[in-house]
Amino acid sequence: MVRQDKDGIAWPAPDKRRAIGKDTKRIDGPVKVTGAARYSHDVRLPGMVYARFVTCTMPKAEVELDFEAALAVPGVVHAKRTCGDTTLYLGEPIAVVAAETPEAAAEGARAVVVKLTELGWVLDSKQALADGAPEVSRRGNIGRERTKSEGDVDAGFAASDKIIEVAYTLPTQHHSCLETHGMVVDFRGGDSAVIHGSVQGTFAMLDGPPETLGLDMSMVEGDVQHMGGGFGSKFGVGIEGRVACELSKELERPVHLMMDRETEFLASGNRSGNEVTFKAGVSKDGVVQAIVSDSNKLGGLSGGSYADQPFVYSVANFSSTTRSVYTNLDGNRAFRAPGYPQASFGMEGIMDELAYSIGMDPVEMRLANIPKDEWNGVWRKQLRRVADEIGWNEHPHKGTPGPHSIEDGNEYVEGIGFGLSVWGGGGYPTCEVECRVDPGGSLTVSVGTQDLGTGSRTLVAMVAADEFGLEVGQVTARIGNTKYGRANMSGGSTTTACMTPAVKDATFKMRARLLELVASNTGKDAAKLSFGDGGAVVGDGLNIPWMDVCSLAGASGVTTHGEFRKELQASGAHGAQAARVRVDLVTGEVKVLNMICMQDMGLAMNPMAVRSQIQGAMVQSVSYALFEERLVDVDLGIALNPNFESYRLANVHSIPEMTVIIDEEDDRGVIGVGEPPAIPGIGAIAGAIHNACGVRVRDMPLSSSKILMGLEELRNA
Amino acid sequence: MTDSKSNPPVPPADRTSLSRRSFLKGGVVTGLTTATVASVASAKSSVTMGKAATSLKGRIAISLDINGEAKQLAVEPRTTLLGALRDHLEPAMTGTKLVCDGGNCGACTVLLDGAPAAACMTLALDAASHKIRTIEGLGKPDDLSVVQSAFCEDDGLMCGFCTPGFVMAITAELEVNPTADLDRLKDACAGNLCRCGTYPQIFDAAVRAAKTGLDAINKGAK
Repeated sequence: MVRQDKDGIAWPAPDKRRAIGKDTKRIDGPVKVTGAARYSHDVRLPGMVYARFVTCTMPKAEVELDFEAALAVPGVVHAKRTCGDTTLYLGEPIAVVAAETPEAAAEGARAVVVKLTELGWVLDSKQALADGAPEVSRRGNIGRERTKSEGDVDAGFAASDKIIEVAYTLPTQHHSCLETHGMVVDFRGGDSAVIHGSVQGTFAMLDGPPETLGLDMSMVEGDVQHMGGGFGSKFGVGIEGRVACELSKELERPVHLMMDRETEFLASGNRSGNEVTFKAGVSKDGVVQAIVSDSNKLGGLSGGSYADQPFVYSVANFSSTTRSVYTNLDGNRAFRAPGYPQASFGMEGIMDELAYSIGMDPVEMRLANIPKDEWNGVWRKQLRRVADEIGWNEHPHKGTPGPHSIEDGNEYVEGIGFGLSVWGGGGYPTCEVECRVDPGGSLTVSVGTQDLGTGSRTLVAMVAADEFGLEVGQVTARIGNTKYGRANMSGGSTTTACMTPAVKDATFKMRARLLELVASNTGKDAAKLSFGDGGAVVGDGLNIPWMDVCSLAGASGVTTHGEFRKELQASGAHGAQAARVRVDLVTGEVKVLNMICMQDMGLAMNPMAVRSQIQGAMVQSVSYALFEERLVDVDLGIALNPNFESYRLANVHSIPEMTVIIDEEDDRGVIGVGEPPAIPGIGAIAGAIHNACGVRVRDMPLSSSKILMGLEELRNA
Repeated sequence: MTDSKSNPPVPPADRTSLSRRSFLKGGVVTGLTTATVASVASAKSSVTMGKAATSLKGRIAISLDINGEAKQLAVEPRTTLLGALRDHLEPAMTGTKLVCDGGNCGACTVLLDGAPAAACMTLALDAASHKIRTIEGLGKPDDLSVVQSAFCEDDGLMCGFCTPGFVMAITAELEVNPTADLDRLKDACAGNLCRCGTYPQIFDAAVRAAKTGLDAINKGAK
């Protein structure tokens, strides 16, 4: 079924699709694989200077700076303070040095004489909540507490056959974008500037920089043709953007300011850590009767993120309390489904722990607690399917975990775990798209939307190509520049559902215009004409090739504009994942062997890019579950792993076999798929370890040392 | 993507008697300790530190053989090969990416006499004695090398920032070992990180490229 509005706009029916819904290669693939794609990092301009931050090595300090030695370094052209009298977080950029070469900028940064007077600070919740703790900032150390509740938890616990009380903790996770945060500002005096920013919102470059540069907004152009990862951390231009603009204004020279890797780790945002306690009760039939949850959100200077409990599942009696606990660390930012993976890790853990407490199959346990709303059937189908695919039916230990003893020679044991996800996604009115046909036959579609690597540039060309029966390569897609139509930032899995309906609208109007042109030139009835193969106009005895159709556009061409069409999109994405792990009972080492994801996202515009994004989400889940963790020495007040040597990411050898099952629901229109598959993986992996050997690691990352300790406890019990 | 049931995992064999695994099993504690002590005792430290106090300053004119072309430039002794490519050549060669600046991520992988190397850990002066190949020396957007083409076919990239490094690492392996299997190809890019998580598609691309053969791989290597 294809939904259709009264003017007939609709996604093409499956049998009419050439690109939409088909695996389509990225149109920017060739420039990316050859190194020809120009990222902000790669912009080189005449007279450009390179700038580098100096960061604060204490969590909170009064800062005195002496730039004399720095300015004496050959090649250094400018140095200045970038903070107030006092800093608020470990790694805060306190100064910047600009020089003719990156080497001179680095030497200049090292030559800045920094005198720090330590002020009282806190780096974890224990320090923050201690009596007489130093104040993180004037706001204090604890944010507003919020409680959401329903039903009667006391009655729920009274109705429970088993009650457990457990605590879960999650570390701070870094976005670890391979291209660091930063901008190249091209201002050389005069009344205009061009900004090349590694941002996930093209128009963010007009929010702040024009004021800083003292220029009219209309005279500032923002450009982001390619960017090396954002994941939620690059919505605004940040301190790096502001300082780059200041330097450029002061020097009247182009400025290249990209964070070095250590500054990136310390000062570009993160996924907040969380500490959560649960009390949960279940009756013998597997129905969760009550949950009381309490979470500290550890977002540094920001509020942190955490979705309320019960996450996904339906519990009649619950109370979910959250509060922010501030520390002198850089604030968290959005990160692929902010707060959702953390909440999922806890709730899926509760599902497993309660299931095993009553000897129940964890899949049956989940099925018993899936919300009885309109999506009940979708989740049931998805959970059963991923269970089938991963081999749950043949799995030897379901209602009780596998062995923890190696005495019978059983040194490796496998387990399977599960998780469900939910996300909104969907679009809203924001994108303004221009479609242009020139008499020479070129079809150009422009919109300011950025491409984070999700493939939005390719989607522009795909939608346009299908409207006219053209090949994707025949469309010129122009994106990532503020000269083009307004567009939203890429956040919340909304890019596709905001952008593609507007592209469709623009091309749909162009289609009508071109058919009218043909009709008026041939005396035929436009209603009987349509586009056939290769952009030819056919019908009513005609077969006019695309080039001849375009020649009717006249010297000035034809332009149409598209806006959001809500009937082409929807919101509400649901998914299920299963993970199979192998635990080495001797070393505690975990290898994730397989992951299965079944995910709905409405109409999967480009299934190949969808699979890539879902697999990427599972890879990030493996990485987050097993390896990632910001380490800070809370006594000395120093960062321990602000680099890729000590902050571990999943690599080539950590990757499981992955299967993506796209849950086809293309009658719902487009929704988006960035965040939902990034939610349930960590809970599924923890559950798989639990199922394998009985060890519930409640503290991420799920490291081998913690598993060894858990095995030891079980063996001694 | 493979079926989860078709390929049952095989537990890895103990690699050596000194593995962490066997250590934890308790069998070789004494042997391990002895071996460690012995190796420390027999190690000879003969590094001469005399010249370390003199730091070289100023620029030195060098010639770098990059993709078969002699490039003349003047660099400071501290300039890395990555810095030379990205910031000191005119025009700059920015296809090779700066990511970790510490040899941890593989994004700056170039080939020195055919062997993969981290350009961020190689001084430009040291590179002057080698044949350097960079991502720009493989195919062009309209004339891709086999490895590059395979990346496009299999969607082996998302944001694309790690891509040149992976392409170089896989190219290096296939030039030496055209029949490399999946495990070998994974080992070849064990030092490369991808944050978007495109590993499976990268492996697909690597296997596809291997199937296409060495002659074709060399097509773009001018």
